[in-house]
Amino acid sequence: MDPGVRLMERVSARDVSAFESLYDGYHRLVFGIGLRMLGDPTMAEDLTQTVFLKIWTAPDAFRGGSFVAWVSRVTRNRALDVLRAKAVRPETEIPADLPLEGALDDDVFARLDAQRVRDALAKLPPEQRGLIEQGFFGGVTHQELARRTDTPLGTVKTRIRNGLRRMRESLGERVS
Amino acid sequence: MADDRREAMLESVALYALGVLPRDEAAFAVAFIANDDEARREYEDLRAAADAIAHTAQEPVDSATSARMKERLLARVRSDAAAGTVVPRRISPAYPAWLWGTGLAAAAAIVFSLVTVVSDVNVRADLATTQRRAANLQTQLAQNERSSARDRQTLADLVAPDAKRYQVADGSVVLRQNRLYFALTKLPPPPKGHVYQAWTAPKGSTVMAPGPTFVPNPGGVTVVPLPVDATRVGVVAVSVEPEGGSKAPTSTPTFVRPLT
Repeated sequence: MDPGVRLMERVSARDVSAFESLYDGYHRLVFGIGLRMLGDPTMAEDLTQTVFLKIWTAPDAFRGGSFVAWVSRVTRNRALDVLRAKAVRPETEIPADLPLEGALDDDVFARLDAQRVRDALAKLPPEQRGLIEQGFFGGVTHQELARRTDTPLGTVKTRIRNGLRRMRESLGERVS
Repeated sequence: MADDRREAMLESVALYALGVLPRDEAAFAVAFIANDDEARREYEDLRAAADAIAHTAQEPVDSATSARMKERLLARVRSDAAAGTVVPRRISPAYPAWLWGTGLAAAAAIVFSLVTVVSDVNVRADLATTQRRAANLQTQLAQNERSSARDRQTLADLVAPDAKRYQVADGSVVLRQNRLYFALTKLPPPPKGHVYQAWTAPKGSTVMAPGPTFVPNPGGVTVVPLPVDATRVGVVAVSVEPEGGSKAPTSTPTFVRPLT
């Protein structure tokens, strides 16, 4: 089981040491997403504090599934909120913080590491990889991606879809 | 749905999975996902791939920053724990409540908290500054959260595996807990000067109460949250009404759907 899931059960029971372990295990991920999206270490630090305080004060918001995936989406949504508050980005929407049926198995997801995902990303053509990374961390819409890369909107959509499909196949192969 | 239109919607599903779809368009993508098995499978696959990208963000944090962030957090958390802040929660069977129900845990937390706070004046000053900054950020976030929470709830409900879906000719009616939505994907535009209007009847009744009016987007897609307690609703319907809506249906309903 994803160690984050076990720790969250204990955090729900107000176990401070479990919360500390959760922080130790995942703050680099939360901080890293914040830094990539906000581009400022101080803001990323504040965001990290905000996300972990949210975890502490509302642990029931986690409803199972992969903790890594969940905390990543929570972090991205919080970062988007910050960007919106600063009015520097249009409004995009990150998928809901819910577990999925039929998605990558939770244990498999927990075993994925950065290198495996980087390898999967590296296998993509650069034009697909660039759009996907900018989309994930940029907090921008596909229209903005098209504008920034001077690429037709339809091409952006197709590249993102094809790129994600190839990534999914690649990750599936690696973990099978 | 025409093939090219369907492909366009499937591309929107991919954009939504990555999180680059504007919020208004996201609602349409979610309506499509809610009504189309292939779209749902595609979304689940692609969202898993998109979620995995988070792994690449893991960033080495220098030890001073890491310690400072941890100190800030734990000071707050221990303070909360010491104050006995109550939040709704599941209690893990492995950690029975009695372990935390005694004053011992609270006293220990207070001691930890005091030691932490007074141990280093510089840390304390830094804490005060950073916590003020975090408080400002929290205020900003709270304002944004209020405006986006309802939208996110809608999107979450529409794709939730535990949502009940009732098929209708133009899409589906989605019920989750006490919330009810129309997720319609094939609705023709209403005649000029007219709108669609939602209707609900309580369980055991045939008397329709007026709901919100709406028009679909040019692709025939709309998501309509119904402001009712879904647990009390027995039947829903949609009809075409003059702009501004009606107090009772004035046309043959587009659909009538018992929630059974």
